[in-house]
Amino acid sequence: MGTVRAGFVLQMRFYRRYPDLLVPLLTAPLYGGIFAMIMRYNGRTDLVGAVSLTPFYMSLWWFALFSGGWIIQTDRWEGTLEYLVSAPADFAAVVFGRVGATMLSGVAAFAETWLFARYVLRGDVAVRHWGVFAGSFALTLFAMAATALLMAATFVLARNAVTFSNSASFPFYVLSGILVPIALLPGWLQPLSEAVFLSWSADLLRASIATGPVPHPVRGMVMIALLGTCALAAGYTVLRRILGQVRRTGELGLR
Amino acid sequence: MTVVTRDAVTLAPFGVPEPELQYSAGTPAIAAVDLVREYPRKRKDPVRALQGLSLTVAQGEVHGLLGPNGAGKTTLVKILSTILLPTSGQATVCGHDVVRHGRDVRELIGVVMGGDRGLYTRLTGRQNLEFWGALQKVPRKVLRSRTEHLLERLGLAAKADARVETYSRGMKQRLHLARGLIGDARVLFLDEPTMGMDPVAAREFRKLIGELRDEQRTILLATHDMTEAESLCDRVSFVRDGTVVATRSPHAVAGLVSAVQGLELDSADAALAATLAEVPGVTSVTTDGATTRILVRSQDDFPRLLHLLADHGVTSLRTLRPSLEDVYVRLIGDRGLEV
Ligand SMILES: Nc1ncnc2c1ncn2[C@@H]1O[C@H](COP(=O)(O)OP(=O)(O)OP(=O)(O)O)[C@@H](O)[C@H]1O
Ligand SMILES: [Mg+2]
Repeated sequence: MGTVRAGFVLQMRFYRRYPDLLVPLLTAPLYGGIFAMIMRYNGRTDLVGAVSLTPFYMSLWWFALFSGGWIIQTDRWEGTLEYLVSAPADFAAVVFGRVGATMLSGVAAFAETWLFARYVLRGDVAVRHWGVFAGSFALTLFAMAATALLMAATFVLARNAVTFSNSASFPFYVLSGILVPIALLPGWLQPLSEAVFLSWSADLLRASIATGPVPHPVRGMVMIALLGTCALAAGYTVLRRILGQVRRTGELGLR
Repeated sequence: MTVVTRDAVTLAPFGVPEPELQYSAGTPAIAAVDLVREYPRKRKDPVRALQGLSLTVAQGEVHGLLGPNGAGKTTLVKILSTILLPTSGQATVCGHDVVRHGRDVRELIGVVMGGDRGLYTRLTGRQNLEFWGALQKVPRKVLRSRTEHLLERLGLAAKADARVETYSRGMKQRLHLARGLIGDARVLFLDEPTMGMDPVAAREFRKLIGELRDEQRTILLATHDMTEAESLCDRVSFVRDGTVVATRSPHAVAGLVSAVQGLELDSADAALAATLAEVPGVTSVTTDGATTRILVRSQDDFPRLLHLLADHGVTSLRTLRPSLEDVYVRLIGDRGLEV
């Protein structure tokens, strides 16, 4: 627990020293404004609330990808990775603590996006189903942290990680149904998006601010938890294997 | 005439049997047996950084690793600190196998490697120490006071709250050292720890190592600084091409090459110096102030030299024993800058 905490504190200190990591907090309101304007222009004021929360997912993903996903690789570049793996603390716990801190900035992104949507864009974003909202929100942060851990582990050895991380965002946004409803995607894409936890999150979050009952709340939350747990297990496994591999090849300290 | 010759003088071959350990019995702090480490290379045979290296370091011993660039010192340190896996062979730290029980090993060790890297440069020195201390599982209360103590002890207190990127190289090196000490390790691996330190800092460092030794900690110290090795180490191992060539106490290393390397006498006049230089086997005659040093190629050249000196009425002589550096050069071979 002390280790997770140490990783968390470290990452929070990084945010103070590398404020550029917090860029999504600047861009989120801009996106929100754009999305809301498109809806207004098309006369769909009823959708302004839902779309103006979309930038929250974009920020959350951005944090997971850029501050979370690059954690291990930057440690390798800095030469700190060798010291991290020679310390008694569990390395995965350090990474998880740091990823956790990136999720805290996700919470800040949500607060910002919500306030902007409510008071500037004048969308209807009042939470009507608090249980669904709180449950799916917490599970979403967990699943996103697990996904970030998986990316962090994978990026260490994937030679084209930079290309991936620069181009993965848009397909991810599409599959998760945060830009366009999944129902509008081509039929063959839809099953794929069911494997993306964020698609379930987005459905539940939108439903929790909508009037009327939430369809299948339990199924949605179970799916987020399940997909998150899979990502965590995969991330942990990949991390172990990769640490073993770089210890064997001697690439641990290479840039 | 007083010539102090010790035992029969021979040029000792490499691999002379190691003298018995005089340290506390029981599990050695470090034991490496037949360690081999290869680094794979693309489309070439792998580099063999360690070629069957064996080494034993007793609990509480300060052990030096000497050897040229590329000899395998850092590779050995990395294997012992579980950063690298050996290709074959075994190593234990306080009885724990570095491959199978890496976690137990990590509980016991502190690692300091030379260089500018390995610190979070945008954080302060204190923040770095706090983070690494937490990773060493130091309880929070203890961590606070120990951080304070180490910053003070290593002369970093004034810079404790400045970002590490503003530190000079020697200051970074001291912070590395503080990080290695924050976990209260029983066994310390120090790879060129005084690299970049100014003489005063280096002297403070040596004092610190002395204190750590008094606390019965085991220290494996890789260094290129012969004075440092001579003043700090209980024993030194010469590493060449990935194996240990010899292990000795720094005061007994002379025996590895030849017990007497030359003679020193009260200043000889120019004529005598010239005559001495002509004697077969004499490699150099240098006069420095009130003393003249005569170096010989081998022990067999002494009798002739001694006769000559007696003929010239020289009655006071001292034998010259090789320094650690002399031994190093003779053992490792004069390879220049080749690696
Ligand atoms: N990551 C690596 N990949 C490939 N070869 C390596 C790697 N690290 C070290 N080597 C090679 O292994 C050999 C031993 O290197 P090592 O760093 O252990 O030497 P050293 O004794 O510490 O030298 P120095 O005194 O210069 O620090 C060298 O030939 C070096 O080129
Ligand atoms: Mg080295």
